[in-house]
Parts: sequence; C-alpha cells; structure tokens
Amino acid sequence: MVPLKLIWRNLLRHKLRVLLTAGSLTVAFFLLCVLQALVVSLDQGVKNASKKRLVVQSAVSLFVNLPISYQGKIETVEGVDETMKMTWFGGYYREPANMFAQFAIDADRMETIYSNVELIEGSWDEFKNTRMSCLVGKETANKYGWSVGDRVPIVGMIYPRLDGSEWQFDIAGIYDAGAEASIDDLTMYFHWDYLEEAMEAGATTGADGIGVYSVLLSDGYSQAGVGAEIDSLFENGPQRVQSTPEGEFNAQFVSMVGNVPFFVGTIGMGVLIAILLATLNTMLMSGREQTRDVGVLKALGFDGSAAFWLLLSQSLILCGFGAGTGIFLALGIEGPLQAVLGSNFPGLQINREVLTPAIILAICVALFAGLAPALRARRLTVIEALREEV
Amino acid sequence: MALVPLSYNLRSLRVRKSSTLLTIISVGATVAIFAGVLSLQQGFETLFSDSGRADVSVFLRPGAVSEGESGIPPEKCEIIKKSLPEVQVVDGMPLASAESFLAVRRRKLDGGETNVPIRGVEQMTFTIREGEVALSEGRAFAPGSDEVIVGEKLVGRIQGCALGETIWLNTVPFKVVGVFSHDGPFASEIWCDIRRMSDALDRPWYSRVVAVLNPDADINALKERMSEHKEIPAKVMDERTYYEDQTQALSGVLRGLGTFLAVIMGMAAAFTATNTMLAALSTRSHEIGILLSVGFRPTAIFLSFLFEAVLLSLAGGLVGVLVAFAINGAETGTTNFRTFTEIAFAFRVTPTVLSQAVFFSLLLGLLGGAWPAWRASRMKPVEALRRT
Amino acid sequence: MQESQHGVELIRVSREYTRGGEGVKVFDDVDLSVKPGAFCAMMGPSGSGKSTLLNLVGGLDRPDSGDVIVGDTLLSELGESDLAEWRSENVGFVFQGFNLVPVLTAYENVELPLLLTGLSKAERKEHALHALELVGMGDRAKHRPGQLSGGQEQRVAIARAIASDPGVILADEPTGDLDFESACQVLDLLGRLHTELGKTILMVTHDPRAAERAERVIHLDKGRINESPAAPDDGFREVKPKEGEGA
Repeated sequence: MVPLKLIWRNLLRHKLRVLLTAGSLTVAFFLLCVLQALVVSLDQGVKNASKKRLVVQSAVSLFVNLPISYQGKIETVEGVDETMKMTWFGGYYREPANMFAQFAIDADRMETIYSNVELIEGSWDEFKNTRMSCLVGKETANKYGWSVGDRVPIVGMIYPRLDGSEWQFDIAGIYDAGAEASIDDLTMYFHWDYLEEAMEAGATTGADGIGVYSVLLSDGYSQAGVGAEIDSLFENGPQRVQSTPEGEFNAQFVSMVGNVPFFVGTIGMGVLIAILLATLNTMLMSGREQTRDVGVLKALGFDGSAAFWLLLSQSLILCGFGAGTGIFLALGIEGPLQAVLGSNFPGLQINREVLTPAIILAICVALFAGLAPALRARRLTVIEALREEV
Repeated sequence: MALVPLSYNLRSLRVRKSSTLLTIISVGATVAIFAGVLSLQQGFETLFSDSGRADVSVFLRPGAVSEGESGIPPEKCEIIKKSLPEVQVVDGMPLASAESFLAVRRRKLDGGETNVPIRGVEQMTFTIREGEVALSEGRAFAPGSDEVIVGEKLVGRIQGCALGETIWLNTVPFKVVGVFSHDGPFASEIWCDIRRMSDALDRPWYSRVVAVLNPDADINALKERMSEHKEIPAKVMDERTYYEDQTQALSGVLRGLGTFLAVIMGMAAAFTATNTMLAALSTRSHEIGILLSVGFRPTAIFLSFLFEAVLLSLAGGLVGVLVAFAINGAETGTTNFRTFTEIAFAFRVTPTVLSQAVFFSLLLGLLGGAWPAWRASRMKPVEALRRT
Repeated sequence: MQESQHGVELIRVSREYTRGGEGVKVFDDVDLSVKPGAFCAMMGPSGSGKSTLLNLVGGLDRPDSGDVIVGDTLLSELGESDLAEWRSENVGFVFQGFNLVPVLTAYENVELPLLLTGLSKAERKEHALHALELVGMGDRAKHRPGQLSGGQEQRVAIARAIASDPGVILADEPTGDLDFESACQVLDLLGRLHTELGKTILMVTHDPRAAERAERVIHLDKGRINESPAAPDDGFREVKPKEGEGA
C-alpha cells in the first residue's frame, strides 16, 4: 500500500520537469496517433477491397494500355460476370492544383460493377443515356460546389484537346462510395465512348487502348483461379496481362507513392526513442530524489512493494496524463484532419486500430521508464537509502 | 569577468552519470535521425546533380516534365537530331540520339514488385556517354539484337538481371550480355536497342532526344525557338536542369521529413537536457551559493550552466554524427516521383550534413540549457547556501 | 499510550562488513541486555558500531550470527516483509538528519506510520494530532518540513516515531544537527517519552551532555561494550540474564 498523497506530491514536486515531460509525451502521442491513422487509412482500401473483383492490367508496365479487343476475350473466361473499361484520364479543373482522379469507363456497366455505390443526386439512367455526362464523388462535388446539371470544364493532360480547349462534362449524378472501400468519394467517372469519339475525330491525342479492365466475378469463383485463366489467355501476346485482386491493385499505388509505412515507421521510431529517453530521464531523477523517502518509508514499516509502486505509479500517471492528452488531442483534431488530408487519405479516422496501439505504447513507455527506479526502490535497504547523498 | 572553472562542469556531468548519459543518447538519437534523413537527401541529390551535364540538352514533348510522360514520334526525333545547327557534329555525325523510356514491372529478388526504367538507346548514345557509362562485365548489346545491358545497381536487386539471364519484355526474351556502371541514375536502368524496344513493347514513339551542343551554342535561344517550332515543337533544357527538376519533389519531401523529425525529436531532446540541467541546478545550488558569495557574477553562473548544457548536447551531437557515419555509403532505394521508378543510391554524409548536424545539436543545448542557466543565475546567495 | 514492555537483548551477536575488499568486524560475539523502559545512551568514536547496533535492534540490519531479541520477538525469525510489519508496530526511529518526507506536511509525515495500522481516517487524525501536541508542534501541523526550523523538524520526527505507539524508540544522533537550545528541547522530549510514557529508548550520541540525560551510558569501542563508570544506578544488566525488574 502506498500513500496516494505521496505519489501525487512527489509528481508535483518539480512542476516544470513534469510539465515538460508530459508535454513531450503529449506531442509524441498526438503525432503517433496521426501517423498511425495515415497508415491505417492507406491499408483500408487494400484490406476492404472486394473479393469479387479483379483488375486486369498490362504485365509489362503501369504505363502501357491494353488493346480494346481484350474486353470481349476476357468475357469468354468462365467465372467472369461483367467487365468494365477503365482509363486514367489525368486532368484538372481550371488550375493544375485542382487535380483529382477521372476515369473513362463503360457508363452502362458501372452500376453492376460497383453495386454498392449509391447516387445521392441524379440518376443512373441519366448517366447511362447522356454521352457527355459524368458522375462525381460527393467530396469533390462539395469542394467545387458542383451539382447535377452543371457543366464542368476539365483540362486533359494525357488527352489534351488539340485546339487547346477544355473538355466539357455534364454532371448527371453525385455518388457516395459507401461500403465500396476501394473507391473514394473524390473521383469523376465519364463515358469511355465520349473519349474514343474525340480521338477518332482527331480532336485529341493520347495513348490508344484501355488502361485496365475491372472484372466482376460470378459467385463461387476465386480471384486467383479466374485471374490465372485470364493471364494465360494472353500469354502469347500481343500484350501480356496481369490480373490482380482489387486489393493488391490498390496496394501498388500506395507503395508507388513511396514507402509510406517505412517513412511513417521511421518517424514513429524516432519520436518513440526520443520520448522514451526523456521519460526515463525524468523517472530516474525522481527515483534518485525520492531515495531518502523510500528509506524512511521502509524504516517506518512499509515494504518493498510499497516503494516499488510509489515510483512506478508516478511513471504510469505521468505517461497516462501526457500520452492521454496527446491521444485526446488527436481525437479532437480528427475532423480538421479529414478536411485537410481526406483527399489523399480517404477514410482517415482515429479509430480503434489507432487508439489500441497508442495506448499499449503509452503503457510500455510508462513501464520502461518506471521499472528501473521502481525496482531500485524495492531493492534498496533502509541503510543504503538513508546513507545516499541526494 | 571571472568565469566559473570548466572543471566544475566536467565534475558535475560525471556526478550525475545516468542523466548525462541519457541526455547524450537522447540528443544523439535526435541528431542521428536528423543527419540520416539529410544524408539520404544529399545522396539522392548528388546522384542526379553530379551526373547532369551542362553541355547536354534534353528535348521533351512540350508540357512534359519527365521522359516518362514525354513522347516524340521517331521521324521528328530524326529532324531534331539532324536539323539543329547548335548540335555538335563529329565526323559528319551529329552528337545526338533518340531515347525511349518506359517503367516496366519487375520482381525484386527479395520479393515484391517495382518499376524499373528500361531505356532504348542508339549507338550514338554510347559516344555521347563516353567516360560516363562503362561496361564492368560482359559486352555491349549488338545493334538490332534482342540483347540488353543492365546497370550494376540492379544486379543484386532485381530478378533476371545477372549476366547471362533473360529479361522478358512483354513476349520477347532479351538476353543480359553486359553490366554497366554509372555514377548517376543510369546505374538503376536496363538499356537496349531503341528499335528492338519499340517493336517488343509496341511503342511507336520515342521519349526524348539528347544532344551535345556546340560550346558556343545559346541554349536559351534554342529553348525559345523550339517551344514555338511549328514542325517539331519541343521543351528543351540542359541535363543538369532536367535532373534538378527530377529531384525537387523527393528532395523537398526528405527535407520536410528531416525538419519535421528534427523539431519533434528536438523538443523531447531539449526537454531532456532541461531536466538534466535542472537536476544539476538542485544538486549544485550549494556550490552556486558559495560561488556567488565569493564574488562570481550571476552572468558567470549563467554562462557556466549554459556551457554545461552545450557540452552535453555537443557530446550527443558527436554520438549522432558517428551513428550517421555508420550508414554512410549504405545503399537504399527510393522512388523517383516523376517517373515512378525505383532508383538505388547511397546515404552520403557530406560536410553539409555534418555542419548542419553539429549546428543542430548546439541549438538543442542552448534551448535546453537556457532556462536552468537563467534560474541558476537568479539565485540569491543566502538562499542557495541554505538549500541542501 | 501504554508503557513499554520491550526489553532489548543481544546474544552473542557478530557482524562483519566488507570495506575495500577487507572484512571489518564491527561486533564479535557481543552480548547486551537493556531492560524494558530503560533510557540508554550509546557513545563511542566513529566506526565503533553505534549505528550498526541501532540498525540491528531496529531490524534494519541482520547479524551474521547470534540473536537479537526485542520484546519477545526473535528478529532473525522474521522475513523482510514481516520485519517491516514488526517495525511499524514496535519501533520508532529518530534520525540525525530528521528524514521527514519533504513533500508532505508535518501532520502527513506523522500520519505516515499510522497508514500501516488499519486505523480509520478519524482515528489516524486523532493519533497524529495527539503526537504532534505531545511534541509541541500542534500549531505547525500544516507546515512542510522546508518551512520548519531544524529543532521543529526533529520534534515532528519524534512525533512520527511515537505516533503508532511503539515500545522502542531508536534515536541516531538526534541532536547532531541542532543548535544548543533545540538540542535541549529534543532531549527533554526524549526524557519525557522515557519517564512519562515508559518507552525503551536507545540513543546514539556524540554529545556527553546528551548522554547525561540517559540513565545508562554504553561505550562502544572496536566492537566491545563498556558501561560508563559514571552511569547512574540501574540499567546495569550487561551479559546477564534478564529479570523482571521492569517498571
């Protein structure tokens, strides 16, 4: 049993020191939470990706398109329920800084492929039947203040219009990706036919062919099985393909942006080392200063475990307070964070996957910093403790 | 003004061994990470900037920022090569060559997939790059053959890149007949005959033209003329500028990362230093009382404490720099954001890195020591003597 | 508070320390008997084993051989935590450097040993305040050690030593750090604990004036025990079986 007052008073004995340590803990854990949230959000699109879809892409290069003729051939493979062209358009709205993803797709098939996508404005029929129309994710629509019926000009970088003008799209619907984890609420989808028409008319240049095919599997077929079948279909060319589960396809873009988990891991480790040492230093000092107290307690008849908990609980309280504040700050900033980073990290949130490791780490830091002085306090005899120069 | 003897500081640091050590490690870790990120950035930057040549011009499609997204039809490449008076001519041949560039999927030896640049080149390329690119193993590919040479940095990293192995480009097998070295980014590339590459990958256009200009050529005039050229519009820059553009994004990211880490970790390290110095303050208050009562000025006390903090942090900085030196020359890979290809390069602990690291540790000491030193200097002699 | 029933008995006690790689015998086969309720002063040069004797009696140190009996407890039979518990019930310590916990008030310092007793909060308060009144520090209950003079600190320390009503008070140079006047107050206080409360008191001191207050003075030298010839009548029970002469 430890007198609680003693724990508390000793903690507050050096207010500045405790404040500085708790302050660094707060900053560190705030940072760790945010970083972990970024990693989790990156993983999310990969982990929650549909098990029913494959992406067929060129086996040669990310920057090589597939022939148009492949679509029909892929559809002959057993287990393929539906296919959809998807070509990266690479455009921006007015300013290059207003960059967001646009895909040219088979407009009449999207509803089947992404069955969980919901239109919160407009209608699928309108989209399917109007050649110049497009669907826009709700976040992008919000950002630029677009609504159904608006005509939006987009500058194409991969498919520039030769007369120097902008592409024009009529918004037929605004979607909410909902449970469709592999797509975000930021993208624009428009008719591939519209793009093809412009190319045939010589209004634009750009790569021929289709970026990737999105393939929906029939029930009971595995991604690996059907994928292998599709790959073997084009083994001898003209263009080899690589069929990957949607999750893996998403992952390749995550890793392309740079090894984010590695960077985040490095930062995290650095911050953790710094905070560990800072806390350890504080606790060792507290331990030394309280040597005499420990001696007195023991002389009065308190046992070793009382001395042990006197020190360890200070470390636990210190870390609990410091790290806790950091974690709460992270929770508090979730909204603004989503607003700022949401476009790069969809689904960013401070959830259980973020909080659990943070709390575990906080406890580890507390134990690491507190154990050395606590064990020393338990071990010290009264004679040693009282003789010690402080 | 009489200063407090230095030996007092040294003894003070010795007396509180664990605090001293922890502070040194704390500052050391911070400086090491800071220096590590900086040397990463330096390594990446020198890889490009040192290998860029001012006399070589790069021609890209107008609007393209890298060869990855550039495209020029072969016939236009020919016109660029042969029609420009600025291009140096040797033995009746213009020192200019077309190049085709594509990031291809390759498997890494340690698992996973990455994008490796493959570059189709002409024979003239080797003339232009004479002295820069050298074969270290095997021989050059025969013109028009299905053969490749690989950069030496790929050999231990990418599947199929050892001498004698086969690299598949789509459905065509290419034999690895040579390994070449280069002090710049080429060492992470696969090179082959430009026409064979176009055939195998069914790419009817090339990516860029490189040309050695006459010494007296005015590149700015050329740049302007080409940007408005009716027949062969092109974006022109010298190779050095081209590489600088390539590194800007990643350098920026690394610099940002380094600064960010430095601030956060530095805060914790400075706090640790402050705590250590506050502890020194409380154990030495008696001594301070004596010093003040025999006539040392508060300023001397202030300087003494600040000096002790700086001593601590410089020791930490030294540890950090030593750790950084341990990774000097270590190879690593990163992504060139412009072409999304992986490039191997080494950490480089340059004088810039060293001076920044030392300056940083000094700053940590000053930040960490300021408050305790001020407190020490404000002590009243009587009060200081009374405290034990 | 009840009168002490704690005699102190050392039977053939040996204790050796290693200093600089060499064994130093502090005690070699020493016997000592202090009857219950005695006020005993111990004098001797540094290193003569005064503090070691006190530590052995207080259960802070253990003999290499021989028995230490306090009251009817044979200390060598107790484990560390039993010993700690025994200390809390039977021994009160007074140190040269006071050793008050700096972050706690005078009252809280005195309350500290009572936390181990299972008394209710109200009872603890009563006991602690009573002990403070006893040493004349009732009006300083809310002061921290740093706000007290040395003599006051030592009086609080004495209050802490008697708070849980132990039979034995062990005082190690209690006046060593005090000015003359404060020292007198502290010695008066110890004398009262002896005469009014019947505590058994063992006090190590350098100061002959302090030793005069005791009814028995033991001189230690090189691990040997000699009674002071000037010692007053009773308490002279060295190397003899105890007898129930106690008060």
